[in-house]
Amino acid sequence: MNSTQQTARVGLFFLLGVALVWVTFQTLSDGKIFEERSHTLIAGFGDLKQLKTGDEVRLAGVKVGTVKTTRLAGRRAEAVLQVDPKIPIASDATASIVMSGLIGGNYIAIDMGTPGAPPLADGAEIKTLESPDLNTLMSDIGGLGKQLQESLGSFSKTLNGTGKDGGGIIQKLDKLVTENSARVDATMANLQEITSKVNRGEGTLGKLVNDPKLHDELLATVEEIKATATQAKEFVANAQTLMDQVKSGQGPLGTLVYDQKAADDIKASIANIRSVSDKLAKGQGTLGKLINDDSLYNSAQVTIKKVDRTLDGLSDSGPITAVGIVVNALF
Amino acid sequence: MKQLNSIVEGVGSVVQLLFRSASYAGSLPRQWARFIEQCYQIGYTTLPIVAILSFFIGTVLALEAGYAMEGFGAKEFIGSLVGLSMARELGPMMTSVLLAGRVGSAIAAELASMKVYQEIDALTTMNIPAAKILVLPRLAAVLVMMPVLIVIANIVGWFGGSVVARYVSTVGISPESYFAALRHYTKFKDVINGMEKAEVFGFVVVLVCCDIGLNTKGGPREIGAAVTRAVVVSLILILVLDYFVTKILM
Repeated sequence: MNSTQQTARVGLFFLLGVALVWVTFQTLSDGKIFEERSHTLIAGFGDLKQLKTGDEVRLAGVKVGTVKTTRLAGRRAEAVLQVDPKIPIASDATASIVMSGLIGGNYIAIDMGTPGAPPLADGAEIKTLESPDLNTLMSDIGGLGKQLQESLGSFSKTLNGTGKDGGGIIQKLDKLVTENSARVDATMANLQEITSKVNRGEGTLGKLVNDPKLHDELLATVEEIKATATQAKEFVANAQTLMDQVKSGQGPLGTLVYDQKAADDIKASIANIRSVSDKLAKGQGTLGKLINDDSLYNSAQVTIKKVDRTLDGLSDSGPITAVGIVVNALF
Repeated sequence: MKQLNSIVEGVGSVVQLLFRSASYAGSLPRQWARFIEQCYQIGYTTLPIVAILSFFIGTVLALEAGYAMEGFGAKEFIGSLVGLSMARELGPMMTSVLLAGRVGSAIAAELASMKVYQEIDALTTMNIPAAKILVLPRLAAVLVMMPVLIVIANIVGWFGGSVVARYVSTVGISPESYFAALRHYTKFKDVINGMEKAEVFGFVVVLVCCDIGLNTKGGPREIGAAVTRAVVVSLILILVLDYFVTKILM
């Protein structure tokens, strides 16, 4: 092989190598030689769990950066996040540590926040939310399983009993059904008979269910109730009008209720009536004496007797003399 | 003690050879033909065996990963395992082992023969340093060719893994899923990391093989012994250096 051929082959080989390095670079690094400028955000947690440097930061599931470093800051742990500055992270967005798989992978999940919220500045602290990790979940599930087991045991005891108190619910139910089977049968037979009667249209309930006439009557009754309700509504409207008139002082009743002068007159009239009745009761005045004095009654009785006798005397004298006799007898 | 002494002597000899060669770095453009010839030997002729080995390393990795990961339902991560393993570790290391076996042994045999048959002495007599015309072009060539070999080894290995992932029923994941996991977890810096390791391994292998070849003493029987020693020392150095270089590059 001459020197030219050898040189050509080595050159070709070298160029192939360079081309493959370029292809590998493009494939694995998306053509980025230097790290792009990025925003740094601080996320503080009580426990970073298994989060480590290089883990992904995802906004709504899309990778937007990586965890630059993890560190302790006082009594909390901080993850320093490097995120793409072209993607704004809302100031009210929340970061949480999420498991990416059962074999221990974690990433920081950031939600979108509210629309229109201002973006976080470089170096700002993002709000965080503690989420339970696999160990906590397993512990909780273990506790839940224990409680479930206890509940099932208790339920089982309730159902089956402990053997000391005459058995559980199932035994008691079984006993109840066995002892009362005759009654239950009779009740069922009665129920069957009742439903048969209802089905045949016998009895009130049967007719109610099966008779169309009852349905019509029921409809008519409802119509009457509607008409009555309409009348009642009119009555109430009239009463309302009347009340309005009374309230406005119109008409005799309004005057009686709301006119002060009329009230004073009535009060004065009642006072007069009371004064008159008091006098009557005390026997004062003509009417009082007429009511209370027996002597007037006795005189009237004597007079009536005299008139009676006179009339007896006149029965034969004729009407003309009768007048004169009456006058003489009276005066 | 004798063993320890020989190790220290060997280290000293290698370091001396390195500095002697580096001191002639300026003469490299004038040795362009030798440089190209070494590039051809180290890179071009090694490519087929590197490609075959890498392909099957990728397939075995995918197969074993599929068997192991099936137990806990993580077969989708086979791509990441093959990708990272090839790029960071197996690509550089296995290529360097192949280099030691194929190129290192050839260098040691060639230089040991030249030494045994006094060609080196003749060059020295003519004031032509062996470090200048025999070592420097090889060191330069291995530095240029190793990245090319590594990137080819990586790509062929990844492809081998995808073939197994697609066609072996016990693995049974789609190539899209395989390459998605590979792309997601394997970064370009991992490939660069592997290339840096391969540069160190290749450079050390060539340097050590040159040194052992140039320090061969005795008759023709020593040529075989020198080759064996060169390959064994190269393999040990690759594995020992692997730990430290990995630790440094992390």
